[in-house]
Amino acid sequence: MAAIETNGLTKRYGDVVALQDLDLTVEAGEVFGFLGPNGAGKTTTIDLLLDFIRPTEGSATVLGHDSTDGADEIRDRVGVLPDGFDLWDRSSGYKHLEFALESTGGSADPDALLDRVGLDQADAERRVGEYSKGMLQRLAMAMALAGDPDLLVLDEPSSGLDPHGIRTMQDIVREEADGGTTVFFSSHILGQVAAVCDRVGILDDGELVTVDTIAGLREAAGVGSRLVVRVDGQPSADLTAIDGVTEVTAEDGTLTVAYSDAAAKGTVVHRLVEDGVSVLDFHTEEATLEDLFAAFTETSTPANGDGATETAAGEAADHPDTAAATEGSR
Amino acid sequence: MSWRAVARKDFEDVVRSRMVWSILGVFVLLMAIVVLGASSNSGQDVGLANVVNFFSTLGGELLVPLTALIVGYMAIAGERESGSLRILFGLSHGRRDVLVGKATSRVTTMVVVATVACVSAAVLSLVVFGSMPADIFVGFLVLTVALATAFTGIALGVSAATGSRRGAMGGAVGSYVFFTILWNPIVAGVHYAVEGELAGIDAPSWYLFLQRLSPLEAYRQGLMELLGENIFGLFGWEFIVEDVDQQAMADGGLVVSNRVGGDLPFYLTDWFAVLILLVWLVVPVALGLRYFEAADLN
Repeated sequence: MAAIETNGLTKRYGDVVALQDLDLTVEAGEVFGFLGPNGAGKTTTIDLLLDFIRPTEGSATVLGHDSTDGADEIRDRVGVLPDGFDLWDRSSGYKHLEFALESTGGSADPDALLDRVGLDQADAERRVGEYSKGMLQRLAMAMALAGDPDLLVLDEPSSGLDPHGIRTMQDIVREEADGGTTVFFSSHILGQVAAVCDRVGILDDGELVTVDTIAGLREAAGVGSRLVVRVDGQPSADLTAIDGVTEVTAEDGTLTVAYSDAAAKGTVVHRLVEDGVSVLDFHTEEATLEDLFAAFTETSTPANGDGATETAAGEAADHPDTAAATEGSR
Repeated sequence: MSWRAVARKDFEDVVRSRMVWSILGVFVLLMAIVVLGASSNSGQDVGLANVVNFFSTLGGELLVPLTALIVGYMAIAGERESGSLRILFGLSHGRRDVLVGKATSRVTTMVVVATVACVSAAVLSLVVFGSMPADIFVGFLVLTVALATAFTGIALGVSAATGSRRGAMGGAVGSYVFFTILWNPIVAGVHYAVEGELAGIDAPSWYLFLQRLSPLEAYRQGLMELLGENIFGLFGWEFIVEDVDQQAMADGGLVVSNRVGGDLPFYLTDWFAVLILLVWLVVPVALGLRYFEAADLN
């Protein structure tokens, strides 16, 4: 059974279309990334799924219940970390957790929940009014987990979190997914979605542009990865003959090898060494997810046409510092 | 039953707030001033009735309604504007649970505040005057608690029906202005339209009934009947939109049963005044719930 299924889900405010004809299926147990720039309609979709707002047209089913008629049943089984929320400043973190556990009938140990989200017990004694944004985010995550939900809805879960907090959040998503929980992960940051999601849907300007795996998206967008090798000497071997290598360019002692198969990287380096060329340094450049994202959100406007994918790849080359570079290869 | 969790949580938050303690302090202080003020009226037979009479104008027409509106107006709109309503929804509370829970908590708060105010008046009277007539105390308590819940209900209804802090504030202030400034002239206008003149000291019972449909008037008429004394409104509408002279007003001329001839109709009795006040609690909350259940909450 699908955890979330929407059929022609549409929300309009007067003439303004917030969400247009969304057909989306999220399978039970999967981690689904919901991507889009700010204002694309991600929160509108979540609000519709949780009966916070009502659809203008179309319908949605969450965990087998209609989002409007079955809202109560849905809420009993969903954990939500909303985007942009306040908690109750005068209550302590513990009070919040107690309330969450009481409300959802959860039986988890508050200290265990704190531990999962990385909040100190001492902090949990303090008034929430004194919390930083990151601490609020952690506490709200703990509250979302309190009822051991079947579906976890996370709307921009990393906002306010430092890199360590983001890692904790991603670990939680993986743990929940391993336990069979469906995770609906909304974000405007592709890298975070890519780190945890099985599949990704890209939403732009109220419309779903595509749904695919990260690898599938990369392929569809035609944005490959590159191996950049600094060498001393000129290789004689024909690197393009290696399986999976798509293009080789040499400039000022730097070889840039584009490949479609990650296994080709090792072969390239091996071949260079065999050739007697000294390999001074190398790193890989993943096609930046931002570029991938841009490729999709820009092609959605017909005027840009096919050019967008080329632009995206070009930008990645022009700004190698923004690329997801890793020293050495896997 | 999830509204209970919302109610308990909200009540804990209210108790933790400084505001509600300041309100309690103001009421107790006011009672102390009123009692001491009454006790300095030398040469007269003073007691709880005088305290109630003094309190009813400033407390009944200003402090009780305003504090009830303050306690109620942010209940729903505040959660909605801050986004914590999304958290409540995520914790399996539905719209009805949230509103019923919040209403229960805020009404309870005002019941406690009004009760503390009345009980402190009674205790102070007992200490200062050495007497505390039980019938007056009970009537005063019931009417004051009912008045407090009526305005809490109005504020809750407004809060549920509007999406923003500003809207809720406007609605709360607007309802107070409506009842204090507009209600009596409107009812007087109706009388003028029907009878061709302003109401005198002898007024038709339908006129007094229309008047007491306002929670402020229901409270005032109820207390006048209880005490058998005149109580003058904060704005003195009886001098402006009614044709009554000072002479006729002496000795409780404004008391409802003195203004209508014959037996007092049931709808002008004290218990009916309490009923009207309770309607002002229930109906606005019910209407607010209808809006709230149908609304887009973002």
